[in-house]
Amino acid sequence: MAKMNLTEGAIAKITSGGAKAAELKPTLQVTELKQVHTKQPQQSDRFRLVLSDGSHLQQAMLGTQINHLVKDGNLRPCSVVQLIQYTCTTVQGRMIIIILELIVIVEECALIGHLVSAQKSLGPPQSFTNQPVNNSSNPQSFGSCSLSGGAVENPNLTVASLPNPRMNQLHSSSHSSNNDSVRHGATNVPPSHLKAEYGAGLPGAAPMNGSYSDQCAIFRNHRPEISQAPGTYFYSSRSVYQQPSPMYPNTGQVAKNDAPPKLMPISALNPYQGRWTIKARVTAKGELRHYNNPRGDGKVFSFDLLDSDGGEIKVTCFNAVADQFYHQIEGGKVYLISRGNLKPAQKNFNHLRNDLEVFLESTSIVQPCFEDDNVIPRQQFNFRSISEVEGMDNNNVVDIIGMVSSITPAASIMRKNGTETQKRILQLKDMSGRSVEFALWGSFCNAEGQRLQNMCDSGGFPFLAVKSGRVSDFNGKAVGTISTSQLFIDPDFPEARRLKEWFEKEGRNVPSLSISREMSSVGRADVPKTISQIKDERLGTSEKPDWVTVNATVIFIKADNFCYTACPLMSGDRPCNKKVTNNGDGKWSCEKCDQSMDECDYRYILQFQIQDHTSITWVTAFQESGEEIMGISAKDLNSLKYEKQDNESFSKIVRQVLFSKFVFKLKVKEETFSDEQRVKSTVVRAGKVNYSSQSKFLLDMMEKFKSGNSAPVASNTESTYPNSGANSIGIESSGRPCGPLGSNQVGNNGYIARKFGSLPSEVGQHGNQYSTKFPTSSLSLTAVVLLAIPQQIALVS
Amino acid sequence: MDTSKPAIFVNGGLLPMHVRKRVRTVVQVIGSDRGAVIGKSTDDQQLSVKGTPPSVPLTNFVEVIGIADSEKSIQAEIWTNFGDTFDTYSYNQLCQLANGECQLLFL
Repeated sequence: MAKMNLTEGAIAKITSGGAKAAELKPTLQVTELKQVHTKQPQQSDRFRLVLSDGSHLQQAMLGTQINHLVKDGNLRPCSVVQLIQYTCTTVQGRMIIIILELIVIVEECALIGHLVSAQKSLGPPQSFTNQPVNNSSNPQSFGSCSLSGGAVENPNLTVASLPNPRMNQLHSSSHSSNNDSVRHGATNVPPSHLKAEYGAGLPGAAPMNGSYSDQCAIFRNHRPEISQAPGTYFYSSRSVYQQPSPMYPNTGQVAKNDAPPKLMPISALNPYQGRWTIKARVTAKGELRHYNNPRGDGKVFSFDLLDSDGGEIKVTCFNAVADQFYHQIEGGKVYLISRGNLKPAQKNFNHLRNDLEVFLESTSIVQPCFEDDNVIPRQQFNFRSISEVEGMDNNNVVDIIGMVSSITPAASIMRKNGTETQKRILQLKDMSGRSVEFALWGSFCNAEGQRLQNMCDSGGFPFLAVKSGRVSDFNGKAVGTISTSQLFIDPDFPEARRLKEWFEKEGRNVPSLSISREMSSVGRADVPKTISQIKDERLGTSEKPDWVTVNATVIFIKADNFCYTACPLMSGDRPCNKKVTNNGDGKWSCEKCDQSMDECDYRYILQFQIQDHTSITWVTAFQESGEEIMGISAKDLNSLKYEKQDNESFSKIVRQVLFSKFVFKLKVKEETFSDEQRVKSTVVRAGKVNYSSQSKFLLDMMEKFKSGNSAPVASNTESTYPNSGANSIGIESSGRPCGPLGSNQVGNNGYIARKFGSLPSEVGQHGNQYSTKFPTSSLSLTAVVLLAIPQQIALVS
Repeated sequence: MDTSKPAIFVNGGLLPMHVRKRVRTVVQVIGSDRGAVIGKSTDDQQLSVKGTPPSVPLTNFVEVIGIADSEKSIQAEIWTNFGDTFDTYSYNQLCQLANGECQLLFL
């Protein structure tokens, strides 16, 4: 075939905008020609080609009006053509020549010239492989021709294979189908190289795979693209990204893609990254989990990576890919990973500090890295101190480290879904002076839990480092294990060593304040409080109601409307209890049940005032607690008052209840009453006071006061009295004879109160500050004693 | 309530400090001996309580208020049955506090 002369420099002219179709009608050679499959049926096929002017290559698209040239076989790869009508546009940062009209000069010709991609920014994949593909391939098949033609004819043809991997980001679902379409034509390309991608991966295989899949990738690529912009042909779906430098220079050997992959730090990964490779250590290997969701069954396997810069990322694979990699990956080993998909991280499953996750596909490459140079740390923690945990939101995932001060044996807990699991609770203490409850769930109980228990039992003080524990607000703040947690007993990190030093020096003896089961505890609370604390601490004003326990005396009972007529019908498994109205004809009707009945229930809705040494408040008691307090059923009491009109007996009963002391369990909640916010307390349970235990409790508190006088550390018991005591007396610092106290207290406290006047004015102390001038300085102490004495006297059983 | 004759809370160990003063204490009745009731104080010391016990039978624990006439005996004027169970530990603590830190509260 006669040597055709291509218009030299034409490509450069066109792409630089220096030449227009009107002026320049260059002769170029088609080095590549591919059909692009479009999803939309109304779209005709598009053909993409690469033109060469003998020195540079340029991407181009065939206008649909001249598709017939390809279909008729006139225009083929290696054809030499003259462009008659064309435009040059930039699509997503890439220049593309759209050919509207051309003349085929020679249908087939040997490739001419040294070729270089005309584009600096990573050009289109020049899919030349270094496979020793023989040239006997049938040039009719579009895809394969370029493979063979390029490799043999012109070893200098360049490869810009960088952009290729980006295509891999598309879902692999299209990959396989594309494979089929291409393979169909590419008979000379043995499918074996596909297999070479799997498994540990031979370095040499990578580039081959890359380029092969590039072709596929291009097909894949176009699918989403075309749906976006039907009219135009997008060469690539990628937005422009900046590689630090073109990894593969535009000159050089053909298809020598096996240049050592340039490693990136994990923190530099971004979804627009082309081919990336990371070298990292597996810090956590997950299990091969089976799942079942509405979309079907599947398997998932994930592992966490950590690299030498401290970047972490989670890698996930599904189904077949999971199987493929599960056995390859070993925890603690270093791997080179490339050709994965980068996607935004799913925060519920991923607790690493990275907004991205890697999803591996069958085309991904995982290579073990044998020279483990220990640059990459084994594990990376982001330890928080326990006092920081206190301020954290629920469900935050943290790393903590602390000294195990106590551990409970494993207990069986029933989960919400009915299954049973094991739980152990241990207390972790750290340098911040706080301790937190840490729960071990499931398998952690048996393995690490048992070990820790043994260590504690034998008198040791084990240190525990936790990676990925979850903060919960159960009883204050607590931390628990999750499936991805990792525990390290007596680890050898710098933090552990520091903690150990602190512990040896001071930590052993310093009592720590527990942030679990704290004062403002949520949920069941048997924490005793004083009535003034309800107001002081603004209990009940948060979202959820507060549950408190107070020891108080009934001071006044509202005798009118102590009960209401209630519907006795069952709704579900509970009686309706809604108020029924009198029909007037002796029957009662319930709105909710929409029925009427002859007899109704009488239920307590008792409003009364209770008082303790600090304050007084109104509370409401309903049926059960009402009966406990009054000692008589609402129905009887009601009949006593209204039917029998026996006021005397009624008053007697009420008088008996007055000034009796109870342990009230209250539910405190703020409610809105026509624009007014009011904190209402409901008696959930009213129990008899156990004087003995109360006395002990108070004695304990007094002890703590005394020791609290010397050290500034607040007491860490459940008792909340310390904070309230000093304030609650309510005596001003002028040493006024204790007005409120004297007038409020009734009974035998009165005479003691009068003597207060002689006390030095250590009054008005607040919080935990106790003056040491007066030996038994805190007034709260005396208040406590005040409580103690009547109880001693009342110990007459 | 009559506060003209305050009585000091004592246990066995504190009684010697208040001889010839009006005291009160709770004892566990161990037995009687020549007209005096032998009782065990809340700190496990033996005290003897003289005087005329009430006509009602004494329960296990009794509070006696009276003048301490020796280091180990009380001339009781008032006897009160405290029942069969009693928290001696708390009472003991009370006695110590009442005589120690919280003295001023009581006298």
